Amino acid sequence: MAMESDLDLMLRVRAGDAASFETLLRRYRLPLVSFFHRMVRDQALAEDLAQEAFLRIYKARERYQPEARFTTWLYRIATNLALNAIRDRKDEVPEPASGDPDGGPALERFVDPKPTAEQKLLEGDRQRLIRQAVESLPGNQRAAVILHKYQEVDYRQIAQILSVSESAVKSLLFRAYETLRLRLEPLLREGQI
Amino acid sequence: MNCLDRERLFSYAHGLLGEPEAAQVHAHLGECSQCREVVEHYERLDAVLEEWKPAEPSAWFDARVRQAVEAQEARRAARGFWGLGWVRGLALASLGVLVIAGVAWLTHRHRSVSTPSTLATQQPRQTTATQAPAEVAKLNPRAVTPRQAEKPRKPAPELQSAGVSPSEDEDARALDDYDLVADFDVLSELPKKGARVAD
Repeated sequence: MAMESDLDLMLRVRAGDAASFETLLRRYRLPLVSFFHRMVRDQALAEDLAQEAFLRIYKARERYQPEARFTTWLYRIATNLALNAIRDRKDEVPEPASGDPDGGPALERFVDPKPTAEQKLLEGDRQRLIRQAVESLPGNQRAAVILHKYQEVDYRQIAQILSVSESAVKSLLFRAYETLRLRLEPLLREGQI
Repeated sequence: MNCLDRERLFSYAHGLLGEPEAAQVHAHLGECSQCREVVEHYERLDAVLEEWKPAEPSAWFDARVRQAVEAQEARRAARGFWGLGWVRGLALASLGVLVIAGVAWLTHRHRSVSTPSTLATQQPRQTTATQAPAEVAKLNPRAVTPRQAEKPRKPAPELQSAGVSPSEDEDARALDDYDLVADFDVLSELPKKGARVAD
């Protein structure tokens, strides 16, 4: 049986079909929670925000107009929620890093060849460094990178989600990747060895 | 050979270029090792970023979303007639009543101002307390009693001169009081002897 399109499902949700909403929930629960987790880091907050995004979609179902792709609408809601949450937490103390908050010394320590047998822990450290590098980006750049790299959203869609031009998205992504390239340089060098 | 700028190479590596431009960059990369190296660098960066694995939703996530949706439905059902729709209706009805009342009042006021007989009755309000009764009477004869119009305001008779008896003094004060209240046609009687009229 062919998979129903998001659009068909959403039109059925609009008509009051609860089962179609359940299908959308199952289809987008992992992408949304992952998106929020990468945006705000905190797992509990990520789930709260994902729940809120689904609830907003449900509340707005009667006004839904299939003018854009469903994922554009979904990630627009999600991005706004995430950026608001980041703004709200701006005054909070960031997670204490093991070195310089910018990641410099910590990265150097990481690439310093340590004789460790715990590969799993090592992978965790690499992920932490990548996460810190992405978190160091300004909100819009972070959203653009996560949508582009991890959610596999087309840059034209990202332009609609962020309400900017397509060339602005390309510029946002380029600047973000240049920052990431510099911050993750030790990991890149290590990969070449 | 001139190298391409980094942004263009980045766009190529990430599939952000249109077909003709991507073909041009592709052709350039076949001849320029420096630009090829930049593209490879971006590809390595992409591979490193892949290591950041997604977070799984907790086991109770779906149940929480369903619960939130059900709560939303329950609130909506509870609102029903007595909810927001009713409040909006009441607000609109109140606004309508206010508009009608306002129009009616303005219409009434406009008619009152344009009627000549009413004009006459309103004019005394424009006179001041310092205007003499004769002037007031000229403006509006109904506003001043004949007694007031005829009787000039006192100075008091020569009863206050030195050497008058206490009873004569009381009479003089009574006359003073009388003169004081004479301007008010609401009073039809002389004040009682010894009574003071409020200022």
